[in-house]
Amino acid sequence: MAWRRARFVAQDEAVTSELDRRSIALLVERLEKVYADGTRALDELEVRVPAGCFFGLLGPNGAGKTTLIGAAAGLVRAPSGRIFVFGHDAVSDPEARLLIGLSPQEIHLDRFLTARELLVYHGRYFGMPKLEAGRRADELLEVFDLTAKAKTKPNRLSGGMRRRLLIARALVHHPRLVMLDEPTAGVDLEQRHELWRYLRRLHTEGLTVLLTTHYIEEAEALCERVALIRAGRIAAEGTPAELVSRFGGTRLEDAYLEAMRP
Amino acid sequence: MISTELRVIQRRGTIALAGRETRRVLALWTQTILPPVVTALLFLAVFGGALGSRIREVEGLEYLTFILPGLLVMSTIGPAFANASTSLYQARSEGYIEDVLTSPLRPWQVVAAYVTGSLVRAWAVALAVGVVATPFTSGVAHPIAAAAALALAGLVFASLGVIVGIAAETFDHHAFVANLLVTPLALLAGVFYSAHTLDDPWQTATRLNPLYYLVDAARYGFTGFHEAPVWLSLGVTAVVAAVVFGIAVALVGRGWRLKP
Repeated sequence: MAWRRARFVAQDEAVTSELDRRSIALLVERLEKVYADGTRALDELEVRVPAGCFFGLLGPNGAGKTTLIGAAAGLVRAPSGRIFVFGHDAVSDPEARLLIGLSPQEIHLDRFLTARELLVYHGRYFGMPKLEAGRRADELLEVFDLTAKAKTKPNRLSGGMRRRLLIARALVHHPRLVMLDEPTAGVDLEQRHELWRYLRRLHTEGLTVLLTTHYIEEAEALCERVALIRAGRIAAEGTPAELVSRFGGTRLEDAYLEAMRP
Repeated sequence: MISTELRVIQRRGTIALAGRETRRVLALWTQTILPPVVTALLFLAVFGGALGSRIREVEGLEYLTFILPGLLVMSTIGPAFANASTSLYQARSEGYIEDVLTSPLRPWQVVAAYVTGSLVRAWAVALAVGVVATPFTSGVAHPIAAAAALALAGLVFASLGVIVGIAAETFDHHAFVANLLVTPLALLAGVFYSAHTLDDPWQTATRLNPLYYLVDAARYGFTGFHEAPVWLSLGVTAVVAAVVFGIAVALVGRGWRLKP
């Protein structure tokens, strides 16, 4: 009887673990990434982004932020470890891709398409019917103040407009987790605050947001939880207040500097 | 999400990507369709018109009729290869391939979409050449064989184009394969001559060229004349097409040169 009880306990744990995974927007387990040149970008990295959270990822250049986001979105091959998006394996389950919206750090937009077409095609790649993708594209062009540029190709847009278009593209297919890799890099102050307002609104609508940034004040202003990443590992994680109290100082910047100290 | 729902999503995505590729072909028609049509028509004019009056007949066929099927194969394989390789290379080098790589499409669907765009271009060129040449020829003897030969020719070289589009590190690599592999293979495939009228080593070289069998099968389709076993040629080409397509899918699946 003992073996049968043990089996039920094991099954129960497995079910709990599955339920647990589904309630976590992004769950990363022992993720490693070593690039061809020998650079170890991720070193048995573990992170969990709770569903509905505005989560910040802070770290210096080369800490592994972009690699982590790329691995979750299917843009980076990870040699070992596992990534789950709302319980779906990000590597083997195509459904995970439907749940993610990605705004990469580098702006790469299809130069054969206009701004509106970019959004429509993106929606269609993610399975939206043409009409629905068109409606969604118009809605997002309006939200991001790009309606006047709907028929303009990306190389004729300003840097700020291209950045906004990239974020709009990430949202077309109604993802549940949006990963924004330095979305305000190179954006002027006024537009940055405009983007902050929009990101807050998205979050209040129930979207989980994973944001990487070099602007500590941005993380402080937007994020409910922050992970500090250094050399491919999470150095610390918590609410901004928790991090400040753990590392001392008065602001998140102090905690960041302390956590990054070798 | 149930699997049928996911399959519908992926099917829509594949159609959208194939549509994007087709749209690129049509938008850039002065670069994608016009030049190969002009080249093929020049071949027809020079070999069929100018030289044709001196050569008269090959294997009992008017020279223009004899060379047209091979020219159609050439008009199919060049654009099919060039389209997939350049479009994919551009998407890679400019980084916008990430929009496709982050989508829920399976690797075979990505390859199928790129191949579809390439086939549209290749067959548009072949159709244009065929329409211009039709008044000077005597129709199609075996339409199924002709269609199969052109379809398989397009499929093999579009898939090869996908592989080169993934493998190429510079645009020169694409041009290298196009100029030193595809064009010589096409010119030495018996398009302009009958293999058995040649002396060795040219006859052997021609018979070792896999494209020769496709040209021969196409010639059978259009004229009824052939030198090699047609259905064996088509069968072997179908196997080659499946293998090349499979390699392209495997490369996309592994993310080789697409993902760091």
